[in-house]
Amino acid sequence: MSDASTSTRTDRHAVALIGNPNTGKSSLFTALTGTRQKVANYPGVTVEAKVGQTSYENTQLTIIDLPGTYSLAARSPDERVATDALLGRLDETPKPDGVIIVVDASSLDRNLYLATQVLEFGLPAVIALTMVDVAKSRGIAIDTAKLAQSVGVPVVEVNSPAGTGLDELKAVLHNALHHPGKVLKLEYPAEFARGVETLHARLMDLGVKLGYTPARPEAMRLVVEAAGPLMDECVSTGGKDFVDDFKRARELALGGQSAALIEAQARYGAIARWTREARTQEKREGATFSDRVDGVLTHKLWGTLIFAGLMAVIFLSIYSWAAPLMDGIEQAFAWLSTQVLALIPDDQKMLRSLVDKGIIGGVGGVLIFLPQILILFTFIAVLEDVGYMSRAAFLMDRLMSKFGLSGKSFIPLLGSFACNIPGMMGARVIEDRNTRLTTIFLAPFMSCSARLPVYTLMIAAFVPEGGWLPVGSAENPFYLINIQGLVLFAMYWVGVIFAIPTALVLKRGILKSKLTPFLMELPSYKWPRARNVAQVLWERGGSFVRRAGTIILAMAIIVWALGYFPHGDETEKKYDAEVETLSKNYTEAAVNFDPAKDKVSTLALIAQVNAAADERVAKIEQLPEEKREAPAAESKSKLEKDLAALHSRADFAQAEADFNQFKEFDEKKGVIEKARSGEHLRNSYLGRMGHAIEPAVAPLGWDWRIGVAAIASFPAREVVIGVMGTIFNLGDEEDETSDSLKDLLRNETGPDGRKLFGLATGLSVMVFFALCCQCGATLAVMRRETNSWRWPIASFLYMTGLAYVVTLLTYQVAHALGG
Amino acid sequence: MPNPSTLAKLPVGGRARVLSVGGDASLQQRLLEFGLIPGVEVKLVRLAPLGDPMEITLLGYNLSVRKADAALVSVEAL
Repeated sequence: MSDASTSTRTDRHAVALIGNPNTGKSSLFTALTGTRQKVANYPGVTVEAKVGQTSYENTQLTIIDLPGTYSLAARSPDERVATDALLGRLDETPKPDGVIIVVDASSLDRNLYLATQVLEFGLPAVIALTMVDVAKSRGIAIDTAKLAQSVGVPVVEVNSPAGTGLDELKAVLHNALHHPGKVLKLEYPAEFARGVETLHARLMDLGVKLGYTPARPEAMRLVVEAAGPLMDECVSTGGKDFVDDFKRARELALGGQSAALIEAQARYGAIARWTREARTQEKREGATFSDRVDGVLTHKLWGTLIFAGLMAVIFLSIYSWAAPLMDGIEQAFAWLSTQVLALIPDDQKMLRSLVDKGIIGGVGGVLIFLPQILILFTFIAVLEDVGYMSRAAFLMDRLMSKFGLSGKSFIPLLGSFACNIPGMMGARVIEDRNTRLTTIFLAPFMSCSARLPVYTLMIAAFVPEGGWLPVGSAENPFYLINIQGLVLFAMYWVGVIFAIPTALVLKRGILKSKLTPFLMELPSYKWPRARNVAQVLWERGGSFVRRAGTIILAMAIIVWALGYFPHGDETEKKYDAEVETLSKNYTEAAVNFDPAKDKVSTLALIAQVNAAADERVAKIEQLPEEKREAPAAESKSKLEKDLAALHSRADFAQAEADFNQFKEFDEKKGVIEKARSGEHLRNSYLGRMGHAIEPAVAPLGWDWRIGVAAIASFPAREVVIGVMGTIFNLGDEEDETSDSLKDLLRNETGPDGRKLFGLATGLSVMVFFALCCQCGATLAVMRRETNSWRWPIASFLYMTGLAYVVTLLTYQVAHALGG
Repeated sequence: MPNPSTLAKLPVGGRARVLSVGGDASLQQRLLEFGLIPGVEVKLVRLAPLGDPMEITLLGYNLSVRKADAALVSVEAL
């Protein structure tokens, strides 16, 4: 290698890190590599490995953190990744020269099971013994020297949070890497061992055609499982000849016994011998701390109450804690937009629109959900680290299994109420492929926070206020049961109600899985570690920004282009002329004044003082009516004082007159500009699509504008509000609670003078958005998680179809009832 | 000899020794991998609030198993 010639004193080695889940493997990986790590995605599977760097003396070590697993049995492509990575067959990660096997001292036997499988590959190996403190607290003492002697590989105690044992681990590993590895020899029945040898020889023959050399442990996997990805490859490559030879070898090996039992007994038999000498168990009376905690957290009454309370807190905090952060992001993007627009000349109208409405608007509209995602993942990471997540799955399994799902589907689905994307990513913990796919498919049925603005707007516009059980004053009652609140609550249930039959159909039909056992370790409770939580947030937040950000950017630009072009010159000229005519009625100073550029003239100062006063008034208007008087008077006198301070300026009188002119001109010009963008949109490709689909959306109680807003909301649901604002000749900066869009929808009249929309339309829009999968980012992530376009396409078509039918029924029924 | 029974029938707090593991090949393999092999001692810690699944202790760790799967593990009560 050229590397070796240039730096003779530097050695490079790749080392795989493997172990059961919940053993502190990730902590060890982070402790070894720090932040120098990247994620390797293996094509074809949802599994990913992390690769990091560390060094020992002059040796550069590349550590490959393989996903946590209990066994190397390769029943599915996902499970085969560990074996393939150990054998260096995957391009994404280097071929390991050695392996660190992470073994949890508190459940030594089960952890050593995987170790026996890994050691049969014969790679130079070191056992990293973790959770020694947990074991000690349970009265378990492990003699590492004796364990190392009986297993035949070095054993090093490590405590990653405390940072102890890491240097020793690296030193021992370094030494092991300079010696050939030993293949672990277990005592299998003679026929079994012979059968495996025979099959291995047969596989070696087949290896030329397969393109790789099957290892002996893989031959054993075939003998035991007689199924899986390798079996499929061998059968398709070797044909009937291979199948016959395979059957013969297997019969010879098993002699009518259960293969899995032979394997498990040989492994656990060896483990029992190893631990007999190396482990001492002190008899302890009474329950451990973890057991006592568990007694409460999985208690029939307390456990259920705590669980429900915790879910409520997660739910509420996703909404309430995120709000200020989301406002902050929104303001940051607004600021960015002004800064960038200031750099682009005014006459570059298309570029300005692309940057402002397409790029910044589109990306900002997605990044605004980052706080919600981070809050959700903080909870998930803390609960996971503590060990509560598996208890939540334990509590919910019975309920979820009724719908063909598993307890492990619960948290991903709950998380989907915040945002479908982290929900779908969370489904990775489900081992069974079909259950995982069903969970991913159901995630978009959960009403995510992006649908909330749609609900809020429609409810404010069309659902009457009032309710039952009033409390407080008679003029201004607060209803304990509030109609608007009930409608909002109902919208959250619409998705769930339709998700249930969908799950049942999927699990009985195409995603039928053999009754997958719900075998799940319930790890002992631990204190959460800030470093682990930060790591999860960094990874998940980063991947959201990267993956959803790139695709959403592309989609936002497409929708922008459809809504912008052809952008006819005639329309431009027509409205330019209107502005021209309008400006003739006003003084030149008023027409040319630009508050963004002019900050020093008397006119500008008057405008600033007035703008500040307007801002105060807006705040005062949010107060209850009876409390407005005093601050209103105060604000007025402040305005007068501020203006008086400018009186001394020589051009004050002229500037004040100009300001009044400017105000009137600006307002009228605003109306023209809104009409201009409205007309451009109507004539755009998007607008034409809207007219084309009008016959289809009319039975839903929509007109073309709502239809087009629904189409344009494809990149992200909440875009619908902005698009409606634009289409309803308002400019697209309308906030969901802005009175104007709400009132405009409510008061919109048709050519016959009757109101166009009512409660029925409001409900119909809400139901549509509750059920449709109008979210480009969700579909893109679904594609990633399922590794095929089939699922996102099926999801989009199914949910749109379902949304249409249910919306149609909703509108027709509500309309018939007089809504 | 103690009466043979299945893991699913164990009372809460009850201890038993595994005799054999049934089920189809893949389920049997999973149960075995988690340490439910003949001769291992298990204890039923508790049932989930809805009555299923159950939490058992074996080989020094806690495992959640559905009753339907536990019924495939025959045990002798201790």
